[in-house]
Amino acid sequence: MTEVRRIDLLDPAEVARLGGIEIVAQGVVEGFLAGIHRSPFRGFSVEFTEHRAYQPGDEPRYLDWKILARADRLFVKQFEEETNLRAMLLVDASRSMAWRGAPGRLTKRAYADRLAAALALILLRQRDATGLITFDEVVRQVIPARVKTGQWTRLVRGLLDTPDGRGTAAEAALLRLTGLLARRGLVVLVSDLLFDRALALTALRYLRHRGHNVIVFHLMDPAEAELTGPPEVRFRDPESPASVVVRPRELARAYGETVRREVAAWRSACRRHGIGYHHVLTDLPFGMALRLLA
Amino acid sequence: MTFLHPLALLGLAAAAIPALLHLLERRVPPEAEFPPIRYLSEAERQSARRLKLRHLLLLVLRTALIAMIVMAAARPLVRSRRAAGGGAHEPTALLLILDNSPSSGAVVDGRPLIERLKTVARGAITRAAAGDRLWLMLADGVARLGSRDALVATVDSVVPGWRRLDLSGAVAQASRLVDAEPLPGREVAVVSDLQRTTFGEGRADIPRGVRVLALASATGGEALANRGVAQARVAGGAVAITLVGTPGGSPAPVTVRLRAPGSPAGRSHDVGRALAAPGSSATVPLPSVAPGWWIGEAVLDPDELRADDRRAFVWRVALPARVRADPGAGLFVAAALAVLTQGKRIVEGSDVTVGERLRGGAGTTVLLPPSDPALLGQANRALVARGVAWQFGGAGTPGPIATAGVAGISGIPVARRYRLGGGGGDTTAILATVNGDPWLVRAGDVVLLGSRLDTTWTALPASPAFVPFVDALVNRLARGEASITEAEGPPGVAFQVHGADTVGAVVSAPDARESDLTPAASDVVRRAIGAELLDEAQFAAEQYAATRRTDMSGLLLALALLVAGVELGVATRAQ
Repeated sequence: MTEVRRIDLLDPAEVARLGGIEIVAQGVVEGFLAGIHRSPFRGFSVEFTEHRAYQPGDEPRYLDWKILARADRLFVKQFEEETNLRAMLLVDASRSMAWRGAPGRLTKRAYADRLAAALALILLRQRDATGLITFDEVVRQVIPARVKTGQWTRLVRGLLDTPDGRGTAAEAALLRLTGLLARRGLVVLVSDLLFDRALALTALRYLRHRGHNVIVFHLMDPAEAELTGPPEVRFRDPESPASVVVRPRELARAYGETVRREVAAWRSACRRHGIGYHHVLTDLPFGMALRLLA
Repeated sequence: MTFLHPLALLGLAAAAIPALLHLLERRVPPEAEFPPIRYLSEAERQSARRLKLRHLLLLVLRTALIAMIVMAAARPLVRSRRAAGGGAHEPTALLLILDNSPSSGAVVDGRPLIERLKTVARGAITRAAAGDRLWLMLADGVARLGSRDALVATVDSVVPGWRRLDLSGAVAQASRLVDAEPLPGREVAVVSDLQRTTFGEGRADIPRGVRVLALASATGGEALANRGVAQARVAGGAVAITLVGTPGGSPAPVTVRLRAPGSPAGRSHDVGRALAAPGSSATVPLPSVAPGWWIGEAVLDPDELRADDRRAFVWRVALPARVRADPGAGLFVAAALAVLTQGKRIVEGSDVTVGERLRGGAGTTVLLPPSDPALLGQANRALVARGVAWQFGGAGTPGPIATAGVAGISGIPVARRYRLGGGGGDTTAILATVNGDPWLVRAGDVVLLGSRLDTTWTALPASPAFVPFVDALVNRLARGEASITEAEGPPGVAFQVHGADTVGAVVSAPDARESDLTPAASDVVRRAIGAELLDEAQFAAEQYAATRRTDMSGLLLALALLVAGVELGVATRAQ
């Protein structure tokens, strides 16, 4: 039997070698949609337009039970968006995102770009207005949410045109973002969250308060989750002069506990404020990451 | 605590290595970017106390590990009486007395006692360590210094000897010897049958710090039955035999054998038999035999101790001397000769002349100093004319007689005397002395006396020894014969010859005290030599007990292994 390999379930680094962001994102999205046969975001402010014959994979909830009762035939209801969903992808482009724990892996930034591109493609195919904001210490790129043709290309260009930043005073940038997102919609933050949790949560909470549906992708390189390294090493913060000499073998357990505690704290805080939170390691296939939203 | 290899302790300096490495470590660690450094700082802040304690614990464990290994290499010894015999101990001066006197040849439980003693002695020497100083003393009283192997070889070659051991004296000598050694331990180990007769009077002076250990008797304090011939002497045509042995023994037959002069040892024949018990005497008449030096022996039936079952004797058979006394010899000499004539010890004749003038012709002259000092020169000229080197000299100082060759006269005072001189250094002619000056000499056919045999000159005529002295003078000394003497040694007879003539004999035999196999009581042993009686197991356990040390190196290595395990656990557990 021939093994069919879905691109969205391959190793992200392996997928990245297939080509640029566009190709990767399109491949991922094709595979992803073929796998789940439905949009994860359908259902936001939509209106019935017509019926069509039921196909395997369609959700039973859209079956028209009346027709089934009258004619004993399966039809599903088709909807037309009354108003487009406004989705804004916030991609962290700080210096820390340009790091990877092993040469064979994607940097967090590369992973974030591909994930954001794929997500944008899905949203645009649903005819949702999708925009992009990249930021580090400051807001670097702002591409307003649109649904018109060529929007996805602009979004990808925006990702490509955003260089790796130097520092992350992302709290300030997030606060500024809140001002840019006047209309309610979907806000997807893709970041390694290496900034002050309380301040960041203040901004996210504000967005939530403004009626946004907020989803956070917390990216982490596997090497950040488990501390390894030579017997003794000086670790330097890429975003500040701070450094610390540690013996990874001595500190590994405490470090692992700290990371787990931090992730748990983020998850708990987000859940408390109605914010979707997903912890994603950069070796997780894109399809699996997108599935978290389904 | 002491150390067998103290120089190894220099390695303790290595125990500072972990601390020095910790303090002096200045190597630059490699650098790497790590974005979540805030997590790292948080983890380090939370673990700082634990890591500090862990580092301190590791430092202590590693230092202790090195110190323990170094200490183990130095072989530490701690005082411990519980350690098994022969364990490590401080250097000790040990003198082992192995009593191989004749009584050690007794058979106990079918095994020669000397074998048991040798086994114990071998063990005692084998338990010695390299730093010990060892001596071995046998019954001859000679302290032999040697290595462990050499002394074990000596012990292996030991057989029962013929010399009696005075254990009190031996222990006193041994304790002085070991006391002179500047070693931490000083011990005297006595491996003996502990006969009661082996202890002299009084007690040995044992210096403080010297331990004396004694092996208890193999018989458990019970006396071993034994009989031995203590003495066999010929007198008046009969041999008087005295038996000794363990008290309480029943009478036993004694056979007397005799063999002719010059005949081989196996040609003796029985001449009489008597019954005697230990501590009693019996007399066996001897048959009339031709003149000569006859060898006899008194023989007992074999018992547990064979060394004392036979004793030799020498019987000198000679014709009575023909003696004549000059009027100048004095009344005492005349009276003594009359007694001897009556007893048929001498007959009237001219073979021996006793007087104050040297007469010509054949025969021997016993020459007394002239009563008139004016005749002294005439007497000396006559001696010269006779070819005698000895002459009368000036008056000597009063003093007692000293002699080994004439029985019974030693110590008898001499008031007047002439010094005898001119012998040309021939000391073999001197038979008795007074104050170191020759008093009785024999030169050729003349026997010279320094004093007249008169009570105004010497007390000898008034003593009971006078008649036997005159008998020896005319029957033996005038013939140039020495006495028959007895000596300690293997049973046998050695004749003294002068030219072609036999002039004397030495009869050797073990000391009669060896025949009493009664062991000494423990309080006697304790009092006499300051030792406690110990059985073989106790003897082995108590040896070196005063300086015994337990070697702690094994324990230290085990602890080091444990510490290494803990260190490994601590070093890997927290990672």
